[in-house]
Amino acid sequence: MIHFVLLISRQGKVRLTKWYSPYSQKERTKVIRELSGMILSRGPKLCNFVEWRGYKVVYKRYASLYFCMCIDQDDNELEVLEIIHHFVEILDRYFGSVCELDLIFNFHKAYYILDEILIAGELQESSKKTVARLIAAQDSLVEQAKEQASTISNMIAQATK
Amino acid sequence: MEQLKTIGRELAMSSQGGFGQSKEFLDLIKSIGETRSKAEEDRIVLREIDTLKARLSSPNTPKFKLKEYLMRLIYVEMLGHDASFGYIHAVKMTHDESLSLKRTGYLAVTLFLNEDHDLIILIVNTIQKDLKSDNYLVVCAALNAVCRLINEETIPAVLPQVVELLGHQKEAVRKKAVMALHRFYQRSPGSVSHLISNFRKRLCDNDPGVMAASLCPLFDLIVIDVNSYKDLTVSFVNILKQVAERRLPKSYDYHQMPAPFIQIKLLKILSLLGNGDKKSSEQMYTILGDIIRKCDSDSNIGNAVLYECICCVSSIHPNPKLLESAADTISKFLKSDSHNLKYLGIDALGRLIRISPEIAEQHQLAVIDCLEDPDDTLKRKTFDLLYKMTKSSNVEVIVDRMIDYMISINDHHYKTEIASRCVELAEQFAPSNQWFIQTMNKVFEHAGDLVNPKVAHNLMRLIAEGFGEDDDTADSQLRSSAVESYLRIIGEPKLPSNFLQVICWVLGEYGTADGKYSASYITGKLCDATEAHSTDDTVKAYAVTALMKIYSFEIAAGRKVDMLPECQSLIEELLASSSTDLQQRAYELQAVICLDARAVENIMPMDANCEDIEIDKNLSFLDAYVQESLEKGAQPYIPEDVRSGLSNISNFRSQDHESSTHALRFEAYELPKPSVPSKVPSVLSSSAELVPITQPSYVAEVHQPASSALTVSSSGSSELKLRLEGVQKKWGRPAFSSTTPSPSSSDTFGSNNGTTQHESISSTKSKVHNVSYDSRKQQTEVSSEKKKLAASLFGGASKSDRKQSYSGQKVSKTNSHASDKSIIAEATSSSDTAAVRPTSQPPPDLLDLGEQTVTSSAPSVDPFKQLEGLLNLTQDTTNLSSSGVSMPDAPDLMSIYADMSSSSQSTTVAPPPNVTKAHLAKQPSKGSNVQEFLEKDALVRQVGVTPSGQNPNLFKDLLD
Repeated sequence: MIHFVLLISRQGKVRLTKWYSPYSQKERTKVIRELSGMILSRGPKLCNFVEWRGYKVVYKRYASLYFCMCIDQDDNELEVLEIIHHFVEILDRYFGSVCELDLIFNFHKAYYILDEILIAGELQESSKKTVARLIAAQDSLVEQAKEQASTISNMIAQATK
Repeated sequence: MEQLKTIGRELAMSSQGGFGQSKEFLDLIKSIGETRSKAEEDRIVLREIDTLKARLSSPNTPKFKLKEYLMRLIYVEMLGHDASFGYIHAVKMTHDESLSLKRTGYLAVTLFLNEDHDLIILIVNTIQKDLKSDNYLVVCAALNAVCRLINEETIPAVLPQVVELLGHQKEAVRKKAVMALHRFYQRSPGSVSHLISNFRKRLCDNDPGVMAASLCPLFDLIVIDVNSYKDLTVSFVNILKQVAERRLPKSYDYHQMPAPFIQIKLLKILSLLGNGDKKSSEQMYTILGDIIRKCDSDSNIGNAVLYECICCVSSIHPNPKLLESAADTISKFLKSDSHNLKYLGIDALGRLIRISPEIAEQHQLAVIDCLEDPDDTLKRKTFDLLYKMTKSSNVEVIVDRMIDYMISINDHHYKTEIASRCVELAEQFAPSNQWFIQTMNKVFEHAGDLVNPKVAHNLMRLIAEGFGEDDDTADSQLRSSAVESYLRIIGEPKLPSNFLQVICWVLGEYGTADGKYSASYITGKLCDATEAHSTDDTVKAYAVTALMKIYSFEIAAGRKVDMLPECQSLIEELLASSSTDLQQRAYELQAVICLDARAVENIMPMDANCEDIEIDKNLSFLDAYVQESLEKGAQPYIPEDVRSGLSNISNFRSQDHESSTHALRFEAYELPKPSVPSKVPSVLSSSAELVPITQPSYVAEVHQPASSALTVSSSGSSELKLRLEGVQKKWGRPAFSSTTPSPSSSDTFGSNNGTTQHESISSTKSKVHNVSYDSRKQQTEVSSEKKKLAASLFGGASKSDRKQSYSGQKVSKTNSHASDKSIIAEATSSSDTAAVRPTSQPPPDLLDLGEQTVTSSAPSVDPFKQLEGLLNLTQDTTNLSSSGVSMPDAPDLMSIYADMSSSSQSTTVAPPPNVTKAHLAKQPSKGSNVQEFLEKDALVRQVGVTPSGQNPNLFKDLLD
């Protein structure tokens, strides 16, 4: 099971956090501090895995962004590494060659996508197409709602002029 | 120039929808991005929190604004600040009709709330309503929230609807419903136990996604109860076969592997089903062989599947052919340049050696390499492996290595683990007691606070019992050396309490035994130790008892006792101690010193801690006393179970001693006679007792003889004669010897050693030590040192005696093999490391061009190529927009791409060919994306985050 997902920048800034096991706010801060200290200092040729408090943290660096997932002792590390890559590929497809900036400003979208890939700490969908289709369907609905809202707010704006 | 700026801004404005947030929010993110210290960031965030508090509480905030505020709350909380003041607004937003707002509400709620939060009760109603919605997207959003938020109490509220959704027409909903049910099962297995059959049903779902989802709960169920799912073995094998034969839709392919994630899950399930079950395992052999054969070992995901296959092969009933191919795969992993694969190889090796221990030998050098690798993760994994393959022939080398590593790390969690492993291995395989004691000393010194207290008792026990029955000189030698080493160590300023207890006990028991040290010297040391650790009452107790023993031995030997002034002051201090235990010990000490030699000798016999004390469980020695009392008219004893009508004693009795024929009476006799002291000083009872032992079972044992002994003394005999025979077990945890204290069990350790010859062991030991450590200093002979280490670990080259016994030829073969390998190793190590491992360059997507710290990866970026990219792009852009917007930052995006495709071909750890192709194919289309880049860039400029500033990487494609 995946206990949490962290996206940390090279500078140690948090870009996204998702907790599948209960952690209090205090613990979360501590975990992030501990792990970013551990992972950011690792050299490029080393394993993509670190042992941490009896768990294993699998991380991968994309440009200046580190994707980290914490898993149980008996999980398959290489598989989790590929789940990370799967996530990044879907992000890439969605944003059109994704960069860190996309995730900074659109972190909510990254959350929605993550929610379609992982659920309750397990891989939910391994087909990129299915994920893309679901996200697109959600987006189009949101888009419709937005158009409605904007026409209404336009009307109000004009009326109050 | 001015013109350019405005154009950029216009572009940015037009694409504002891309980011979709207000200027204010973008500014917030921007300013946080630019902060240079945590304090600065905190200041900004706190200001933002104030703003949000004010805005959220104002009654007429429009809804779409509210949505953005929630996003900002999420952002604030992500940065580690408390946003609980806004939780209620997130909850409210889930009630909204519009999907867009509802979705935001659910997102915020799932991120904010843990499942034990009070607000959850307010959401349950909404979730119930949404689960019934006609819009499947609403249902999906609700199910996402269900998986995160529904706790044990609220499961019944949504359970019926979730079960209903298992049959929903949309596969996305079915899938999430399965996962939700799985979550319920994890939270409270009882609540969904009647619904488990649904998981089986969903295994046959038409949609592969739903089928894959049902594997998660099935895996959990099978872990708990394999036997009820044996019937599914055929189905799982069939599904796996279909997956491997590419019968699933193409969209499940991942890097040209057919649905690898599903394969891995299925392999995990099969390894459970086939564990120790020959019949089930036989059904899997064919498909496992097929998968291993077909797997693409060039891609990460292929290796992930291969690794899972090895795990499966090593778990199910062994099949020689599969084991062979698993071993081949492992050697491929170990020979790889990728640390990840080496790591998995080591792990897999650890699994396989349980079945076929001989395969470790061919990988000796690879294992040694991993052990000496600078990567901590790999090193630890290798220690795991060594731990699994420890036997009596290599325990010394392995434990020494482990201790060296243990000393070098700070990570408490791992230190504890490795310390307990050292102890475990040392206890199990110790070649000699001397080595055992030395090892324990090291472990205690460096991780004493982290190891289990039982270990300390084991150590004392070992020193007391010594080698065995008839080797008294060796025993005393061992003790003298222990005393000597402890006298050296005791002066250290900081020692763990556990260790000090051992030291005090040993010094008390054996400090003066060999006559090398005078009593006053030892007592002085003990007093110093208590002074240095004055807050530790347990250590003080041990020390006082040790003092008492030493003085008793002195008196018994007929020497005059001169108490050192510091001892006197210590005892005086303890007489008034707030701890009654310490007080008692101090008073006893005073009392014992005043007695005559004969009495003292009986109280504290020299070196009698191993002597068996016979426990008279019938308390027959009291018969006369009882008789006398009865004659005087006392009430006869009525057993407790008769009195209370309960028979709770029976289980007590059975766990206490094997000899259940003797009835042990727990209840004190009913006699309020003033002559019998009610409180029993247990320390007095036997010199050997280690009183402050916390194990309850043990204490019970100790007190039995104590009270019996005391009653004797108080019943009239002024001789102070204690009955020390009969108490058998005094310290040590049950695991060390068997739990029942039979006379033979106390010698377990000794007899273990009896089979091996001490002389030869110690000589080989010293040889091995010399070999492995001295040669390490000689840097020139790296390979020979490794070879020797390998030999000592794996029992190969130099320590060939074991192997020669059955196959002399094989030894020479492995020898030559090893030396061949070592030559290669030498060659590689002698040349420049940078030159040796260009192949293990990080995969291209890890390349970070903007980084200044780049060391070895930098040269791979051809500066000319970068320039080329620049030129190309400026041409492109001029073609595209006639106004001639030149973007100095965009080009490196392009050049990276050009670069990647070329460099990825040269690396051996290249991504699978399809990926490279895809990149190449994608390249021309990238050209048309220039517009996109420009927009992004312009927008960002407008926002103010300039890539040329602190972080040029913000713009870099993550997936290069």
